[in-house]
Amino acid sequence: MNIYRNVIAYLLLGAVSLIYIAPILFMFVGSFKPDENVLLEAGSWKAFFPESVSLQNFFDVFSRVNFSLFMFNSLFITLSIVALGLVVNGLAGYAFARLRWRGRNSIFALIIALMIIPFEAIAVPLFYQMTYLGWRDTYIVQIVPFIVNAFSIYLFYTFFIGLPKELEEAARIDGAGSMRTFFQIIVPNSKPVFATVAILTFLTHWGSFLWPLMVTSGEDVRPLPVAIAQFQTLPPLQWGDIMAFGVMLVAPILVIFLLFQGWFIRGVAATGIKG
Amino acid sequence: MGSRDILRRAGRLTRYCVLSLVITSSLLGCDRDNTEPTQPASSVAELDVWVHSGQQSERDTIQNQVTRFNAAQRNVHVKLTVLPEGAYNAQVQAAALADDLPDLLEFDGPFLYNYVWQGHIRELDNLLPEPLKQDLLPSVIQQGTYNGKLYSVATFDSGLGLYGRRGDLQAVGVRIPTTPGEAWRIDEFERLLAALAKRDADGAVLDLKLNYSGEWYTYAFSPVIQSAGGDLIERTSFQRSDGSLNSSAAVEAMTRVQSWFQHKYIDPNLDDAAFTSGRVALSWGGHWDYNRYHAALGEELVVFPLPNFGLGSKTGQGSWNWGITTRSQHPQAAARFLTFLLRPEEVLRMADANGAVPATRSAIRRSHLYGEKGPLRLFVAQLENTAIARPQTPAYPVITSVFQQAFEDIRNGSNVRNALDKAAATIDQDIEDNEGYLVR
Amino acid sequence: MGAHHLKTESRAAWVMVTPALLGLTLFLTLPFFLAVILSFTNLKLGSPLPVQFVGFDQFKRIFADPSFLRALANNAIFAVVVVPLQTVFALCLALVINRPLRGMTLFRTLFFMPVVFPFALIAVVWILIYAPGPNGMMNAALEVLSVGAWEARDFLHDPRSAFPAIMLMSIWQGVGFQMVIFLAGLQAIPSELYEAASVDGATKWRQFLHITLPQLRNTIIFVILVTTILAFRLFDQIQIMTHGGPNDATTTVIFEAVRSAFERQQVGRGAAMTTVFFLFVLFVTFLQRQIVKQEREIE
Repeated sequence: MNIYRNVIAYLLLGAVSLIYIAPILFMFVGSFKPDENVLLEAGSWKAFFPESVSLQNFFDVFSRVNFSLFMFNSLFITLSIVALGLVVNGLAGYAFARLRWRGRNSIFALIIALMIIPFEAIAVPLFYQMTYLGWRDTYIVQIVPFIVNAFSIYLFYTFFIGLPKELEEAARIDGAGSMRTFFQIIVPNSKPVFATVAILTFLTHWGSFLWPLMVTSGEDVRPLPVAIAQFQTLPPLQWGDIMAFGVMLVAPILVIFLLFQGWFIRGVAATGIKG
Repeated sequence: MGSRDILRRAGRLTRYCVLSLVITSSLLGCDRDNTEPTQPASSVAELDVWVHSGQQSERDTIQNQVTRFNAAQRNVHVKLTVLPEGAYNAQVQAAALADDLPDLLEFDGPFLYNYVWQGHIRELDNLLPEPLKQDLLPSVIQQGTYNGKLYSVATFDSGLGLYGRRGDLQAVGVRIPTTPGEAWRIDEFERLLAALAKRDADGAVLDLKLNYSGEWYTYAFSPVIQSAGGDLIERTSFQRSDGSLNSSAAVEAMTRVQSWFQHKYIDPNLDDAAFTSGRVALSWGGHWDYNRYHAALGEELVVFPLPNFGLGSKTGQGSWNWGITTRSQHPQAAARFLTFLLRPEEVLRMADANGAVPATRSAIRRSHLYGEKGPLRLFVAQLENTAIARPQTPAYPVITSVFQQAFEDIRNGSNVRNALDKAAATIDQDIEDNEGYLVR
Repeated sequence: MGAHHLKTESRAAWVMVTPALLGLTLFLTLPFFLAVILSFTNLKLGSPLPVQFVGFDQFKRIFADPSFLRALANNAIFAVVVVPLQTVFALCLALVINRPLRGMTLFRTLFFMPVVFPFALIAVVWILIYAPGPNGMMNAALEVLSVGAWEARDFLHDPRSAFPAIMLMSIWQGVGFQMVIFLAGLQAIPSELYEAASVDGATKWRQFLHITLPQLRNTIIFVILVTTILAFRLFDQIQIMTHGGPNDATTTVIFEAVRSAFERQQVGRGAAMTTVFFLFVLFVTFLQRQIVKQEREIE
């Protein structure tokens, strides 16, 4: 009975896996094929098993666009948001969870209320605001508006509120102020929540497309998602090059994901505690 | 160490962080402006120039022209920024709002009138030498003129036509038109499509370059409507689209185009290789396709005018134009660079790179493609006789966006009259909202 | 602890929250109010004409615009189709993967992988998967599965298939996210509940109905809420794959808003559309809170 069930489980997972592997493998294999064969062979077994392997498409990408610049831009923008966000939101979450001060509860309630405003609802006026300030086409416009995040503050808050009182008391007897307590005592004891927030922030902004599409024009600060969308429309249309671009875009993140996938999964699972 | 001490330090740190953030942001936000005050110290005029990304060879050529221009003299230094074509107008609009426009701006010709209406582009009349203006093709002057004044020039103009495979056409025994006047009548063209389809494996015989989308739709298919007697907008006061875009002539013409899709004559061309790989016999394309097509087909390649939908074959015109912005501190320097780009040898260089029609008569004479016996002489003849500029009104960005949507809808099988009615109503609403786009 | 300590603590707290409050004010609250204000104006980017307050004109117009109405309907259809499908699918995958069998982490990794891919990339690759003609991967796969009965079609340009194609791809990309949330929910259910049920002789199916589902109730509500809101944020795929076409078949509220504000410079109109979008999100969230609250009261 149980074996019967397990076989069904494996069969089901195997079938679903095919659907998941096909597009990804198609991209990887396509990146090694001559341009004209990518579409031609998409409907046959050759989509997954190339007859010849060549790195020409990868060289083409580098000669046609400044790929390393786009990669740097994406990394720089996303990591800046993550790093600055950890500090700013962590501090705020701590102040709400562990310090006593007037106005704390009402301000925190406000922040919780702000959580429900999705970015898309403010994209248009924010675009107008940033454009008006002359921040268009910079790193700043892609970083600064996203550092503070109400949901991150909330995640920090829920974690910090569960920490034992004794942690801080020892520090307080030493005469440490709140700021030092936070950095020396709280942060080292809160690695899981920092990892969770870091990963969620990374996932949100790594693929960001709508905003950079609106606020960047030149290549100088263009991130990868906009770069691939534009590469796809850049004549001449060469699908092998596009696939190579895609592989290079996704390879680093895939490596990071496979190395730290436990953290990724815990991070996403943590969103479920909301509500 | 007391807690207050730490707090003070931390407070200082936070203040520093906030402050440095503000400073860096203002620095990054304004670095373009900062180049100006430093300018008088060195007498070199920094010239910001924006161009569209175009084809690889075009990018290389303009880059090369800039390098040579910068090396040849010491007074003007050109800094080139390459912008993607996809959302070019949107990028320009956003930059204009932030007062971030460059000195010299390249833009798709028909957007000129909107930029002039907004006050971003300055008159060229006194900035360019008179003989140079005399040398420009009339179609270029027509495109660059608004309310009687010249605002923009181009180094090349465009050609639109049908490319064909000689062998396939001979096999169905069709006559080969060579001048705009001899263009196939529409019924003749449709018989040709049917005859070609019969001999074709999948029945798809015509490539409409559907891989381009965007501005291509307006450029390539508004001549269909014009040839039938309609237009994007009524052309005397430029106040109404209703009655032109949705006239029965326009509806009938676009219904014919739609029927080509329904008969499966059209190749979706997802790989941009429909014509070169031999899947289709005809390709509705621009001058920029010539080099690639010629390389693939050689002597098999023939060029014809677009079919005649009733009032004679019509064709699009206009391409990327250059305008000097009103905010530029160096209009003379910008004009100097423009004059350099318009030298016959530079015009020819660019024309060789993108296959476009050179914008000056002196360059055309020396062109092997467009000269007296050149294979693309047809495009020069079209520009002189049957080309129609896209509407010279500030409403153009909306007109083209709306028409593109209508064309997509028609392509995908929606009712032609409804699509064009809706488009005309949207355009008229926009004109009304902008109080007729009157230049004060 | 004296008053002095409280005072320094309060000062420290303000230092800690000020950057966050500043950010939330400038980049969330301010644009939010700006959105509401702009939606009552005729602001056009770059227009030399003066800006005017036009009352509810923008709202009247967008609700008379067939494309916007179609966008609203599309978002609703997307939510009605994708939310249940994706939730059930994610729950099934989570239930299977939660079994203590070899190789389950591998499957979890695989199904989660598309979540870390930028949507822009996925959309570009899927354009080829949906390529028209027998060469397209989807067409070829369907032909094999239907033993040749399938007639190749141009998925993204056929008004009947374009939106389902987008939906399928979105489910493919998004299901891993929900699956992981469900997995966490499943693992939080105390195993004693199942043990007790087994002793009572309850079948697996009854255990699922009477233990798993009720225990997962709030997780399910949360997943439904998030997926519904995601359904209304639909943009990247549309922009890259179909541009709202064919024939408005795939247009969405955010796509229409961006097209108005950005492509046609009609900022006021775009702001009105995003305001409508926000009101919808508010409504769904409120609904979810009510359901959760009722549930707690019953308990």
